[in-house]
Amino acid sequence: MAEADDELEELELTGGLTRRDIIRRGVGGFLVLYGGALTKTAVAGVPKFRHKELKHNLRIIQWSHFVPAYDTWFDNVYTKKWGAKHDTDVSVDHINLAQLPARAKAEVAARSGHDIFGHLSPQAGLEDNVINHREVVEEVQHKVGKVGRVGFKSCHNPRTGKWHGFPENFVPDPVHYRRDLFHQVGVKSPNTWEDVLHAAPKLKAIGHPVGIGMSNELDSNMALIALLQCYGGFIQNAHARVTINSKGTRDALNFMHSLYKKGLTNEVFAWTASSNNQGYLAGRLSLALNAISIVRSAEDGHLPFAKSTRLLPIPKGPDRRLGLEHVMGVYTIWNFTSKAQQKLAKRFIADLEINYQAAFKHSKYYNFPAFPNAVHNYRQQLGADPHPPKGKYRILDTIARKYTANIGFPGYSNAAIDEIFNTFLIPQMFAQVAQGKMTPAEAAKAAEREMKPIFAKWRRRKKI
Amino acid sequence: MYDPGGLEAVARGELERRRARDLLEERRFLAPALIAPAVIFIALLVGVPLGLAVYLSLTDATAGSLTGRWVGLHNFVDAWHNPNFRTALENTIVFTLVTQALIVVGAAVLAHALIRPFRGRWLVRFLILLPWAAPVALSTIGFLWILDSQFSVLNWTLVHDVLPGGGHLYLYKPVNSVLGVIDHLPWVHTGKINPFNPPQWLGQATLAKISIIVIQAWRILPFATVIFLAGLSSIPAEIEDAARIDGATAFRKFWYVTLPLQLPIAVVTLLFGIVFTATDMTVVYVLTNGGPFNSTQVLTTWAYQTGIVSSSLGQGAAVSLYLLPVLVVIAVLMLRFARRVEVT
Amino acid sequence: MSRLRSHGLSYLVVGPFAIVLAFPFYWMLITALKTNGDLYNPDHVPFKFTTMNGDPEGHSPTFRHVTFIFHHTHYVRWLENTAFVGGLVVVITLVLAVPAGYALARLSGRLGQSVGIGIFLTYLVPPTLLFLPLSRVISKLGLQDRLWSLVLVYPSFTVPFSTWLLMGFFKTIPFDIEDAAMIDGCSRLKALWRVIVPISVPGILTVVIFSFSLCVNEFIYAITFISGSTHRTLSAGVPTDLIRGDVFFWQSLMAATLIPSILLALLYNCFLDRFIAGFTGGAFR
Repeated sequence: MAEADDELEELELTGGLTRRDIIRRGVGGFLVLYGGALTKTAVAGVPKFRHKELKHNLRIIQWSHFVPAYDTWFDNVYTKKWGAKHDTDVSVDHINLAQLPARAKAEVAARSGHDIFGHLSPQAGLEDNVINHREVVEEVQHKVGKVGRVGFKSCHNPRTGKWHGFPENFVPDPVHYRRDLFHQVGVKSPNTWEDVLHAAPKLKAIGHPVGIGMSNELDSNMALIALLQCYGGFIQNAHARVTINSKGTRDALNFMHSLYKKGLTNEVFAWTASSNNQGYLAGRLSLALNAISIVRSAEDGHLPFAKSTRLLPIPKGPDRRLGLEHVMGVYTIWNFTSKAQQKLAKRFIADLEINYQAAFKHSKYYNFPAFPNAVHNYRQQLGADPHPPKGKYRILDTIARKYTANIGFPGYSNAAIDEIFNTFLIPQMFAQVAQGKMTPAEAAKAAEREMKPIFAKWRRRKKI
Repeated sequence: MYDPGGLEAVARGELERRRARDLLEERRFLAPALIAPAVIFIALLVGVPLGLAVYLSLTDATAGSLTGRWVGLHNFVDAWHNPNFRTALENTIVFTLVTQALIVVGAAVLAHALIRPFRGRWLVRFLILLPWAAPVALSTIGFLWILDSQFSVLNWTLVHDVLPGGGHLYLYKPVNSVLGVIDHLPWVHTGKINPFNPPQWLGQATLAKISIIVIQAWRILPFATVIFLAGLSSIPAEIEDAARIDGATAFRKFWYVTLPLQLPIAVVTLLFGIVFTATDMTVVYVLTNGGPFNSTQVLTTWAYQTGIVSSSLGQGAAVSLYLLPVLVVIAVLMLRFARRVEVT
Repeated sequence: MSRLRSHGLSYLVVGPFAIVLAFPFYWMLITALKTNGDLYNPDHVPFKFTTMNGDPEGHSPTFRHVTFIFHHTHYVRWLENTAFVGGLVVVITLVLAVPAGYALARLSGRLGQSVGIGIFLTYLVPPTLLFLPLSRVISKLGLQDRLWSLVLVYPSFTVPFSTWLLMGFFKTIPFDIEDAAMIDGCSRLKALWRVIVPISVPGILTVVIFSFSLCVNEFIYAITFISGSTHRTLSAGVPTDLIRGDVFFWQSLMAATLIPSILLALLYNCFLDRFIAGFTGGAFR
C-alpha cells in the first residue's frame, strides 16, 4: 500500500492527500454524521409490535386536523381506549390535505395500505376499490337513527346501489363577518348577497374588503359552488345531467364580476386555503366564508375583534339560501384488505360514529356527525361555549340542519362531481369572468364543454 | 528432489490461476461484468415501470387499477386536443429555455469571479450554495410566503416607505416610471403598480410564469456554477500560459481559448439544467398548482392532474410520455456535440 | 491586472449574486423568529421585530416556533431518516456507478458510448410517471412505509446520472497511468482500485454531492411510499405536519427549511474545497 502511495506522490497525482487520508477522512466524517442516524434508524426497522402484547392491529390514515387538540385526543386517547377494549393496537398516520388523493391511488395501485382511509370529500371515483359500506351504515342507523341527507347523498351511488364510503362527519360552512365594520358602513348584516354587494365598496374604501376567493383551492371551490346554488345555478340535476349552462349560473357570474370590481382585491386570485383565514385574522377582511377555524383561531389568539365576529348562514340569493359542507369526513375500507381486517375496521368506524359526542366536543364543534342523532342537545352544547358573544355558535345547528347541501346537489356526489371539484373548474370559470377574459355566457358555455366529457366518461364506466 | 507429479500440480494450479486472471482481463468479460450490476438495476427499477407506463398510456386505465382496455394512440391524440395540454407544452418549453439562458450566463460569470481566491470567498461560496442545498419542496414553500397574496415581503418593500424615520422613499414610484416606458413598446402591456392592490405574483398569469422561471433559475444556479468551476479548473495551465506568452489580450484569450474549452462544460450544464427544469414537478405544484386557471401548467403537473387527480391514468401516462422523446433528442444531440468539441 | 483591481472586480460581480441567492434565507430567518401577532400584521415592517401590546406570545423575536418543530413534530427523526437514506443511496450509487463508468470509459469503444448515453437517458423518465407502478413493486416486496423502499428506488435516478458523469471523468484520465500500473504487474481491477480511484476523487466527490442532493430533494416517492410520520424524510414530513388543513405554520416552516439548508450548504462547501484542491493539485494539470 505504502509503495503505491509513494508512486502516486511521485507522479504528483494526489494533490497532497494520500488515498489513506482521503479514505480516513471520508469514513470518519461519514460515521460522525450518520453514525447516530444509522443506529437509530436501523433499530427503528425492528418490527413495531415486538414489545406489545395486543393481538390485532388496525392502521388508520387521515388528514392532520386543523384543531391539533382533536388529533391529540384521537391518536392518544380515543384509539388507545378502543384498542385496549378490543385487544388491538391502533396506529394513526396523518397526511396533508393536498396529498390525500395521491396517497389513496398509490395504495390502490400497490393493493396494500391502511385498513381505514379517511378522506375529506366523498371519493366516488374509488368505488371499485372499496367495499360496500352498507353494512356499517345500517348498523349505525340501527343504533342512532337514520343518516342525514348530506351524508346519504354524498356516499351512496344510486346507479350501483353501493355505499362507496362511510359518511363520518361534515363541517358546516358559516359566513364570518365583522359586525363592527358592517355597522360602520351602515349595513346591518350580510343577510343576502345583495347586502354583501352593497356593503363591499364601502368596506373596501375603509380598508377592510370582503373576502371571497377565486383561486384553485378548497375555500374558493366551496364558496363559489355555494354562491351558484343561491342563484339557482347547479352543476348537475337530480339525474346527473350537466346543467351548468343556465341563467342561474350566468347571474352568479355577473354578481361575482361586480363584486370583484367594486369590493375585492387582486389577491383573491392567488389565495391558498389559509389566505382567507390569514386575511381575516390580520384584521383586514370584513367577511369570509369558512368553517369555524377562523373564529376559533381568533379566540385562541385573543384577537381584539374576536368579540365582534359573528356567524351567520350563507347569504340568501335570488333563488334560495343554501350552502355546502366545508369538508366531509368519509372513511373508506379497501376491498383488498383481509376479511378479518375489514371486520375490525367496520367495528371501529361504527363505534366512533355511535359515540360521536366525544369527537364533536373535542373538535370544538368543527365536526358534525353525518348521523344527526348520534349527538343530542346540539343547541345546548353550542350555546354553552364560553367564548363571547355567548350563543354565537348556536347558528351552526341551524346551518347544519337547513342550509347545508352535499356537493352535486340536487344530485348525488358522484365521480364526475368529484373530478370537477378536484380540478377546480368552478373557481376557474369565475376567475375568467372576473378578470374580463370571458363574458358570463361564454364562461358558462365553456364550463359545460369541459364538464360534459367528464360526465360522459364516468357514465361509460357505469358509475353514473 | 525431482517430482514430476508435484511439478505438474503446481503448473496446473498456476495455469488455472492465470486462466482465471486472463478471464478477468479479457475485455469481453470484464467490461460487461463491471457494467452489468448498474444496467440490471436500472432495467429493473426504471425499465420495468417505464414499460408499464407505456402500456398504460395505450389503455384507458383509471388510477388505481394498472390495467385497462386497449385504446391504441387515442390518449395521445386526445391529450393534444385539450387546450390545457397545449398550454402545458408551451410552458414547459418556455420555462426551460428562459431559465437556462439565465443560468448559463449567470453561472459563467460567477464561476469566473470565484475561480481566483479572495478574502471572504469561503463565506460567499456558502451563501451561493444555499439555494441548491435547500430541499426544493421546502424552499419553494418559503417562496410561497415571500410571494404570498397578502403578506408578500416583495410587495411590502415596493409599496411601503423603505427609509426608516419617514424618509418617504417608495420603491413602486421609480418602478412605475420604468414600467411606463416599457409600456410603450409594441406587444408589451405592463400596467402600473397600485399600492392598494399590489401585484399578485402567483395570481396573475404572466407574473406567475415569471415567478416560476426566477425561482427555478435561483435554485439551479449554484449547481451550474459548481460545474462551471470544475470545468474552468480543468483547463490546463499550459494553455493559459501559452496564450499569455503569445501576448493575447484578455478578450482574445477569452474568445479563442477559454470559450471553446468551456463549451463542453457549458453544454453539460445546459443539459442538466434542461433536465432539472423540464422534469421538475415540485416547484409549479407547490407554487401555483398549475393556476391561475391552468395558465402555468407544465407537462409534469398536467400529467399528475390528469392521471392522479382526475383518475385518468392512461391519459396521464400519455401526457408524461410526450416529454420523454423531446428530452431524449435534446440529450443525444447535446452529448454528441459535447464529445465533438471535447479536448482530451 | 493588479491584485486589488482583480479582487475588487470579484467582489463587484459576486456581491449581487450572493445577495440575491441568499436573501430568501435571511428572510426565512427573520420570519422564523416572529410571533404570530408580529407576523400576521400587515402594518408591521417585515425586516424588524415589533412586539404588539398584549401579544399572548410575549416579546418578538421568539424561539417558540422554532422549538415547536423539535417538540411537537418528529423533525429530528426526519433529519436522521434523510441522512440515513441519502448516505446509503450514495454508497449504493458508488458501488454500481464507479465500475460501470470505468468500463464504459475504458473498455468498450463505440458500443460503450451508446450504452452510456442509453443509461443516461433513463434518468429522463419523470417520477410522476413511475410512482404508481413502482408503488406496486414496493408493496409486493413488503417495503411499503419503510425507509428501505426509498433506499431501493432512489438509486434508479442517481445511478444513471452518476454513471454518465463518472464515464466523463474517467475518460479524461490518460491511458498511460493504468498501463504503467499494469506493466508493473497489477491486474486491471487492481489498477482501477489503486490508481484510478484515488485520482478520481474529485469526480467521486461530485457524484457523492449530486447524488445526496438528489435524494434530499426528492419529494414524490417520499410522500407516496411512506405514510408514518416517524419514518418520513424531510421533504415529506415538513409539508405534512406543518401544514394542517388550512393553517400554515409559517414560522416553523421557515425554521424547518433553514436548518437542513445551512447544514447541507456547509457540508457541500467543505467538499467543494477538496474538490477544487483535487483539481488544482491533481491530474488535470
